[in-house]
Amino acid sequence: MDQNSGWQGRIKTIEKDFSTAANEIKGGMNAQLCAYCKGSKKLCGKDRCPVLTKYYAQSKTQSMINSTNIAGSSPPGVFVGRYGYPKVLVGPLVPAETGDTMLYDTPERWIGKSIEDIVDFRMKLVRGMKPVEVTNVENGGRVIDITRELAMGSVSSDVEATFTKKPRGRLTFNSESQPYGPTAPIKGLDSGNIKIDQKIDKAYSDTDLLSKPAVINLYKNGIMVSRIQKAFSVGAFGIGKNRKFVPTRWSITAVDDMLGKDLMTNTKHAPFINDFEVYWTEELDNRWAVLMMPCSWRYELIEAWYPNTVWNPYGRDVVIFSDYEFLKNRTTYAKIGGCYYSARLAVNENLTARNRQAGCVIFREAHAGYIMPVGVWNVRENVRAAVRNKPRKFNNLKESLDFISTRMDIPMDRWIKTSGVLKDMLHQRRIEDFLTDDKPIEPDMDNTIEPNLERENEG
Amino acid sequence: MFKAKVKPEVLKEVIEIIATLVDEAKFSVGKTGLVIKAVDPAHVAMVELNISKGGFEEYKADDNELGVDIDKVKEVLKLAKPGDEITMEHDEEKSQMVFKVGNITRRMSLVDTTGISDPKVPNLTLPVIVSVRTQELRQGIRASESVSDHIALTATPDGFEMASEGDTDSVDLKLPKDLLESLECKEEVRSLFPLDYFSNMIKAISTGTAVTMRMGNDYPVKIEFSIADGKGEVTYLLAPRIESD
Repeated sequence: MDQNSGWQGRIKTIEKDFSTAANEIKGGMNAQLCAYCKGSKKLCGKDRCPVLTKYYAQSKTQSMINSTNIAGSSPPGVFVGRYGYPKVLVGPLVPAETGDTMLYDTPERWIGKSIEDIVDFRMKLVRGMKPVEVTNVENGGRVIDITRELAMGSVSSDVEATFTKKPRGRLTFNSESQPYGPTAPIKGLDSGNIKIDQKIDKAYSDTDLLSKPAVINLYKNGIMVSRIQKAFSVGAFGIGKNRKFVPTRWSITAVDDMLGKDLMTNTKHAPFINDFEVYWTEELDNRWAVLMMPCSWRYELIEAWYPNTVWNPYGRDVVIFSDYEFLKNRTTYAKIGGCYYSARLAVNENLTARNRQAGCVIFREAHAGYIMPVGVWNVRENVRAAVRNKPRKFNNLKESLDFISTRMDIPMDRWIKTSGVLKDMLHQRRIEDFLTDDKPIEPDMDNTIEPNLERENEG
Repeated sequence: MFKAKVKPEVLKEVIEIIATLVDEAKFSVGKTGLVIKAVDPAHVAMVELNISKGGFEEYKADDNELGVDIDKVKEVLKLAKPGDEITMEHDEEKSQMVFKVGNITRRMSLVDTTGISDPKVPNLTLPVIVSVRTQELRQGIRASESVSDHIALTATPDGFEMASEGDTDSVDLKLPKDLLESLECKEEVRSLFPLDYFSNMIKAISTGTAVTMRMGNDYPVKIEFSIADGKGEVTYLLAPRIESD
């Protein structure tokens, strides 16, 4: 399979979908708009995302690097931009310090860090930018070659980068990838010995291996998702002639989706779990509840954004929306974005590890302390962290939802109203409900959940 | 042993009916014919299919259960040309099903039947019987598809109705008694169903077939029809959706 043309196509259709959606929403700035757009689709019609611009303005503007030359240890890290596609900006991430800088570009290790910590890591990394055609993977010159090696590296590597201008210090955000710091056009890049990950190198050298099996094999061999994504973004995988650079944010979701789908084939054939399970975690003022139900595979991510959180800056009410799938794989891109795929991977990792099948609903409440978009890694790693915890077990859906209600502020009936999967669980009968020819079994849910509307506008 | 020769169109009918609910199915073969019972993974719908010996061109079997991968049989069906006959034979030694179409021999390994659940069939009392041609049902489904994910089936002493209600739009198809094949209904019954299931089931039935639906109030619907020129019988059962808010 071609490494990424499917993705480009898909992303184009999504953008089209959204422009129609945007036209449908009359009255300009709709509170929902930001939550769907997350700074990526220009739904409000403005040239630059006003939300992100606000963060740029607030972010530290001092340039810590007052020189056109930096020598330091790349975590290793790279960034592939998406503007101007198919001519994109590719380059390394380089800090002005030497040593083990791996933490700065390894979101898997960011659980427990504060937003300030994360901003600090990212501010230290200068992003070098070199324009290159996405298809020009092999002959982009020395800067590109070393960037690719860095993307496949397994430990921090010393590099020396020369820029045509001094790096401009500001932090850039988007919804999918981690924030990154100062940028500068790069003209020269030198490196010491880059220690390339052997397993990644093997997939890179195999120009007959499709990118999908390459990604899946690396994952099964224990390579971190963020590392696979890095190598994927520099076109390290796939049939030789089809290799391309893939913008970082697209490559993150592409890898999450591929890995999730692969694990799902196992999930769908595994025996059901025995109880209703609820996992819980809280991080960066986001509350996460993962509900696993003893039924066939189905999955939903419901996100609720409180007013004044990142993607609900203008609304006065909570914005809540979801996307879901049942046993059949979805054929359209999830409208809530890359986080859908990140979380789907995380729950499938848990189910695969214990060879079980379950229906999963993830509840996310983003509260006012979540002031800055930090990337979909936040979703993947938090759901991973949640399902690593010991679950609370329940006998039925009602008890599980009652428990979740005690931890979340938004009343359960609002979650249910938004949810496709919960509504199905509550309203759709199963064949076995009719095994004795009595009256159909009454749902155990109705009228039992106390609406608590007063609390809704807190935040 | 199991050995049968069958017309591709008959096998195709069987496979399409089963494929709406499952990827793998247990074929229970016996002296008098073939029985397939399957329930979809979400346990919302089930199917019970019987096809007698006479539905096959040739048929010989001892009692046995054979786990079959439905997608693989679909591949075999693609190989058949008009007028071909398909031979199926169980190779007990290798635990394979051997299909012969024209000069092609396709061997496929059987699926372990222990992993395929044996669905229990609910014993239901369904007071209303509506008999209607598939094309009418398809028309109602087509009308509903753009409106909602659900479809309500209503029978009254005067006729049968299919209706869908969305957030802003609604649609219904009314079939008065004289457009139905038959109707036995003393008082109105209504049940709501997931449209995708209902639609997939009805689409799997050959056009022109008369379908008998047994219904109740907020109760499953039983959809019965015959296949293989009357040599086979199918019952679909679909669980309702209860709107209680």
